[in-house]
Amino acid sequence: MTDRRDGEPRQQVGGDLIIPVLAVAFTLYFISTILDSPWTAQVNAFMIGGIVLFLCAIFFVKTALALRSGEATFSFSNTFNGEDWTSGRIGLLATTIAYAVLIEWGGFTLTTFLFLAISMAILNHGKRLGLITLISAAMALSGWALFIWAFDTRFPRGWFEGVMQAVLSNG
Amino acid sequence: MGETTSLFADLLFHTLSYWWVMIPTIFLGLIVGGIPGFSAANTIIILMPLTLAMEVETGLIFMVTLYCAARMGAGIPAILVNIPGTAGAAATPLDGYPMTQQGKGQQALAISFVASALGGLITTLIALVSMPWLARVGFYMHSVEMIVVMLFGISLIATIAAKDTLKGLIAGFFGLMIGSIGTDVVYATPRGTFGFLELYDGVPLIPALVGLFAVSEAFLIIEKRSILSESGRAAMVKTSWDATFQGVRLALSRWWHIVWTSIIGLVIGVIPGAGASIASFVAYQQSRTFSKTPELYGTGHPEGLIAPESANNGVTSGTLVPLLVLGIPGGATAAIMLVVMQYNGINFGPSLFEDRPEIGYGMFMAMAVTYVMMMLTIIPLSRYMSRVTTVPTIYLAPMIISFTLVGAFVPREYMFDLYLALAFGVIGYIARKTGYHVAAILIGVILGPLLERYFLLALKKSDGDVMTLFSSNIGNVLWVLLALSIIFPIFLDKRKARKAMMGQ
Repeated sequence: MTDRRDGEPRQQVGGDLIIPVLAVAFTLYFISTILDSPWTAQVNAFMIGGIVLFLCAIFFVKTALALRSGEATFSFSNTFNGEDWTSGRIGLLATTIAYAVLIEWGGFTLTTFLFLAISMAILNHGKRLGLITLISAAMALSGWALFIWAFDTRFPRGWFEGVMQAVLSNG
Repeated sequence: MGETTSLFADLLFHTLSYWWVMIPTIFLGLIVGGIPGFSAANTIIILMPLTLAMEVETGLIFMVTLYCAARMGAGIPAILVNIPGTAGAAATPLDGYPMTQQGKGQQALAISFVASALGGLITTLIALVSMPWLARVGFYMHSVEMIVVMLFGISLIATIAAKDTLKGLIAGFFGLMIGSIGTDVVYATPRGTFGFLELYDGVPLIPALVGLFAVSEAFLIIEKRSILSESGRAAMVKTSWDATFQGVRLALSRWWHIVWTSIIGLVIGVIPGAGASIASFVAYQQSRTFSKTPELYGTGHPEGLIAPESANNGVTSGTLVPLLVLGIPGGATAAIMLVVMQYNGINFGPSLFEDRPEIGYGMFMAMAVTYVMMMLTIIPLSRYMSRVTTVPTIYLAPMIISFTLVGAFVPREYMFDLYLALAFGVIGYIARKTGYHVAAILIGVILGPLLERYFLLALKKSDGDVMTLFSSNIGNVLWVLLALSIIFPIFLDKRKARKAMMGQ
């Protein structure tokens, strides 16, 4: 049942609790790391941590009261739902994690190209692969030209960067 | 007086002769300012061999131009895709991005460019004239006064949280808690670091910024085909040069707003270490406090865009004052300018303006000329830049993620920062989906460590006596102003509500 007795949809509070729970967990962990520390390491944390715990406690009480009165439901569907899958968000998250893990091994240019191509293909449900490949290649090469060749920024270097360096240094 | 006028006239023409350095550097600055992780400071360091090989005047003009242009450039992604290029532009999306979503991206860019250029130009001229007095500001702003200045910025958390105060405060104080990660300033005791050495210096700003704004935004925007609303898409189809002229007119009609918010930036910029992020938050908060329509802030209000943009360019002028007069750099970019100047044997202090006026006054003149050039070259580009908003999100989102994640890697070259940006991205996404303000979290992350440092300094100097917070006359005046700026809007809101009830 998602509607209140007066016909208004009930507020879904499951997702709303994630940030306060994270805040409380982190604050308690933080306090645990400073229990034996000098006062200079403690004063700021106790002050701010105390306020965080107080505010979250108020939030938890308000949420509990809303659940008890039937105005809210403990559901996460406004935060995580089927749209995450159909929109490609889960796929984008997976490719982003893979990008972060593999960039050090594959180098900036190649990994960026693969990330862009696969992500765009997922988000576009496999359509317009030719255009996607072209855009991904152009963006990855532009990034190489600007950041690595022009600015010599110390991005992760891989096979492609090595080949280009050898080609450019040997004319 | 005649000699001074003649000196400035000579300097003006001399600086204009460096147009071939300034114009390409303006475009370079826009690019590096617009990519999170690539600040002017990083770029100057990367190009240091080139800068040191140049004649000292050329090198300084290059650095000043890059600095000003990067500051302006950081506002472009903040307005168009809700991703600040630097922390100094973190308050810009609050009203800039809603304007873009309404199809007014071109107008918003024009407003931002005019506010930045005019704000920077006005403060440069003020700094030139009032340098001896401005230089003294740094002497009077001690730890106690800086605590109150930080609190001005932190009180913005409550302002942003207007719609759901409790969630906004939880987000803000959660950010302050995250900002406390790292070793304490006195005994270097590690706190809340999860055992990671990379967090001993605290949470690095760029990964937090990139994650909370860019990565989370990318995950959100794919829900729709375009970042523009339905009416925004219709407005973009009909867009013409008129939107740019409207933006320019809107900004110029609010010239007084530009003046006083840029002066906030100038005063804060004079204080070493204060930074553009503090100035932009304080200016936004003050702009909202004194506005006749505070309820419009956060919905695409021009003044909400003007305030942070003019303030963060006011900081660029202010940063030069302690650098040239006292030899104390106001921030990272000024510190690098100091290196270049020392390499060329330039001595700082009041004698710089007598012995080498072409350097001392020349830097301010370069700044002024840069702002005028930027007005002429960049404002017309707002029409074409705003076209980015028509790119479908299926292409835009992966591009945002890839370039901003590597931008998170650039400052420290730790892979850890890339993973940290991703973690902040997930937190930012959940926060946005559930009504918590990522801007409030970021304010806490930026200002929290600064507030703690000044607070501990004050307590150490007074042997733990908390009443030291009220021991300075300037500090007490600032406390009163802070209290008024918090109470005044509440009082005005209640008066408006009472009038509305009586009207009914």
